[in-house]
This record gives sequence, structure tokens and C-alpha cells, in this order.
Amino acid sequence: MDKKGIMAAKLAEWNVSLTDSELDQLVPAYDNLLRWQEVVHSMLRSRKIADGMIFPESEPLLMYSPEKGGSK
Amino acid sequence: MTVAAQELAYASIAEVSEKVKRREVSPIELTELMLSRIEEFDAKLHSYYTVFTNEVRAAARQAEAEIQRGQYRNPLHGIPIGIKDIYESGRTTCGSKPLDNYVAANDCTAVKKLKEAGALVLGKTATYEFAYGFPTTKSYFGPTRNPWNLGHDAGGSSSGAAASTASGLAYAGMGSCTGGSIRWPAQACGIVGLKATYGRVSRAGVYPLSWSLDHTGPLTRTVTDAALVLQACAGYDPNDPASANVPVPNFAEKLGRDIKGLRVGLLRSVYEDNCDVKLLGPYNEAVKQLAKLGAKIVDVPTITLDQLQAIEWPGLFAECAAIHLDNVRNRGNDYNPHAKLFAAYGLLVSGAHYLMVQRARAQVRDDLLQALATTADVLMLPTAGFQINHIADESPGLSIVATSFSVYTPIFNFTGFPAIQVPCGFDSDGLPVGFQIAGKPFDEPTICQVAHAYEQSTVWHTQHPNL
Repeated sequence: MDKKGIMAAKLAEWNVSLTDSELDQLVPAYDNLLRWQEVVHSMLRSRKIADGMIFPESEPLLMYSPEKGGSK
Repeated sequence: MTVAAQELAYASIAEVSEKVKRREVSPIELTELMLSRIEEFDAKLHSYYTVFTNEVRAAARQAEAEIQRGQYRNPLHGIPIGIKDIYESGRTTCGSKPLDNYVAANDCTAVKKLKEAGALVLGKTATYEFAYGFPTTKSYFGPTRNPWNLGHDAGGSSSGAAASTASGLAYAGMGSCTGGSIRWPAQACGIVGLKATYGRVSRAGVYPLSWSLDHTGPLTRTVTDAALVLQACAGYDPNDPASANVPVPNFAEKLGRDIKGLRVGLLRSVYEDNCDVKLLGPYNEAVKQLAKLGAKIVDVPTITLDQLQAIEWPGLFAECAAIHLDNVRNRGNDYNPHAKLFAAYGLLVSGAHYLMVQRARAQVRDDLLQALATTADVLMLPTAGFQINHIADESPGLSIVATSFSVYTPIFNFTGFPAIQVPCGFDSDGLPVGFQIAGKPFDEPTICQVAHAYEQSTVWHTQHPNL
């Protein structure tokens, strides 16, 4: 499936449909989104704990608290 | 308009409030001055969507009566200000056609607090649609024009707050900031924008864009004024789940102190290889000026612009999509075309991607907290790396999520640190340039101290657009 088809299918899961020209506009942004996914992934720090296995160093903070953290 | 009226319109809140306190100037006089300037100039700027003419006159009469009775409250008493049109207070359009006729039943917390402090609400100021959808000449609400060059955008999303404050059509404006919507328009219009620490100012009743990134705060013409307005609106609010239950300091307590020996940490890796030289020149002069004032300039290693964007925009638009899903399904075709597309874009962010973004945020925050505990007292970088755009006729598409969109403000949205934008000159086309100073969570007094020391050693805050 091409990028437009993938996007259309993902949006259909949310019951959102876009026109062909709207999907065209989304393609470069979607390409960049997939690239950024890898950029963020490559930033994440973790400890190696066994062959091919890691233990993550950071924890996702869904409601952010700036005063927490900082101590290492 | 007489020279005296012009000077009064461009005076700072700190100056005007002293006159109000001494009864040399009345709140009614200030209000009529602002209303007359809005009448005269706002057709050019389009900085207000709604002017509360009758209500603000009534409030001015009440303030005057209170002050005459000796019941002066504080420096905001009797001072006319504008409120971004995503804050619930009277007609609240969010810059979007479907909300053209929405009138809020109650004032949101921040507006209530400002009114309790005695501020006079002139009206509701223009915003990018729901604080993210760039306006074009074809948008339902139309764009706000930059007072320094009417062909350019005023920046956003707090466009109206920035343009009206810069033009003497208000003494301050309240804005909101999810990726830079206070600091970026403040730079574009040559004024001060203060985004306090996440949780410092209530967002209850302010239309959300991204819950974990949204902040509210003031745009003003001076650093002192930013501290004064923040003083009036800061504080714990149980109606905002992210509100921080921490003491509120005197934000002006360090203003006027020197900055000798204070360590200013430059976040060079974010901007050095991508900032337009037109903006980098004035910024580098500002760094030299801080050094001249006695600050010690140090380097703080951090992320790149690409990493900054990779953390900010997917997370922001995933939350935006969660907020706007029903609206887009029901009224999506009434949004600006790209505003609808951005909400759709957020639906393409996977759950795993969103959580990785949150992990990366935590890492960057921890690293910068460590730097602020060891090598630097404050952090510094330009506000944006490109000149503010011309106003577009057609939808700009998804320009925010392009790699060329080099605004540097989001780093302090996703870390939550307090940050202030200060003007530092003009580019070769006569458009304002600024920089940011950020600091430790809840240490707004120190960033205001540094920003104030710089401001008072330069002339930029004394220059105003010629409308």
C-alpha cells in the first residue's frame, strides 16, 4: 500500500476521511513524522541487561511536572 | 493624536500605574485613550476580534471610584489590557468560524484573577485558529498584521496580543503558549513575552491545544510589566489539573540587581547551524552585551533543532487530534484547511511514538536541570531562526512540521521551564529580533532579572512602530 493508502486507512479507523488533494498535502508531513519517530527512538537512553535486551532509563510523564527530575 | 497622548499610550504599566495611584491619570482616561487608538488603528492591524466598549467603560468608572475612595489595589488597578480569544470571557471565538457566536457563560480563572487585581479588559485579541492554524487572507477571521511591516504576519498564535501591545492599543495582552505562541509573536512585534513555568498560571477555561505543553502568560512592552502582570494571574487553581501548588514569589524582586558573575548558558547546538544570519547578528550582539554587563557566558550541550522538532510536534499534534477529533468530524470543513489537516496529522501518531516522545522530554528536562544545577544559572538562545512570514493568500499547508520551521521556543514548552523573550534589535528588513532567557522551574525572578538588566542597557524597548 502506498503512503496515501496507509494514511487513509489509519484515518478511516478514526472515522475521518480526507480528499485526495488533502492526502497529497499530508504525504511529506507523514514522511517526516516517520523520520522523527526514528530520531526520537534513537535519543532514548537505556541500559543493556542481557544480550539484545535493554532496561529504559527514562519514564514517560503524561502530565508533566517540571519540578521533578534532575537528580542523577 | 497629540504627542502627550501618544507618550501615554506607549508608557509602561510601571509608569502609568504610579500616575493612576497618585490620581494624576484616571482609568477612564486610559480606557478612552485605548478605545480611540483601537478605533483609529485597528482596521489596519486587525488585532481585536471583539471590543467590550460598554463593559470596559463601566469597569473603568468603577476602578476610578475605588481609587478616589482610597481603595487602590495594585499596579494593574485601572490598567486596560487585551485577552487572547481562546480564554473564556464574553464572546470567545478561538479564531474559528464554528465559534463565531459562542459567548462564554463565565470568565476563565486567569481573567477572573486579572479583573480581581483591577485590570480592565478592553476586548478579545486575535489568535491563530485554536492557537495553531495560521490565518491567510482568505481565512474566516483574517490575519493580524505586523505593526512593523503590515505585509508580514504578527506571529502567533497570540497574534492580536502581540500586535495590540506593540502598537499601544493595550498596555498588555494575555497569550497562550504551546510551542512558542507567546515568545514568537512577541519577537515578531518587538515586545516582551513571558511564559512562566508549566503550572504557574491557570489554564482552566482556556481552549486547550496540547494539555501537557499548554501555558498561559503575558505579552508586554517591558520586562517589569511582564513581572507585574504575571503577579496578578499566577497561583494555584484546583480547576486546572496541571496547576502547581507552590508559593508565588514577588516576580519583580530581583529587577535592578546586576548580573555580574551570573552564568548564561548558550544552547548552541539548537541554533548555530540553522539560524538565519539576519537574526543571528543581533542575537550575537546581545550575547556580547550580557558579557559586558558582567555575565559569564558558558556553553551548555543539548539537543539539535531536528531533535527539538521530533519531540515537540508529534506530541503536540497527537494531543491536538485527541482534542479536535469530534470538531473535525462534525465541522472540519469550517476550519482553515490546514488546521483540519494538522488534526488529521495528529491521528497518525502511534501510541508508542507518543510515549517515546514523553520519554525523550523527560531526558532533555533532566539534562537541562542538571546543567542548571552545575554549569549555568540561566539558559539563552534566539527566539526563532527565520524572519516572520509574509501573510499568505493560500493555506501554507503543514508548514509547522517542516524541518525549515526553525522556532526555538518549544524546548521550554516540553521541559516546562520558565522563559522570557526580549527584543534585541531589528533585522536588515526592519523586523524585530529577540532572544530567550530560561531558567530553573519556578525561578521566574532570575530570568526577569537577566532580561531586565539587558533591556535597561539597550534602547530596543523604547522604540515603537509607526502606524
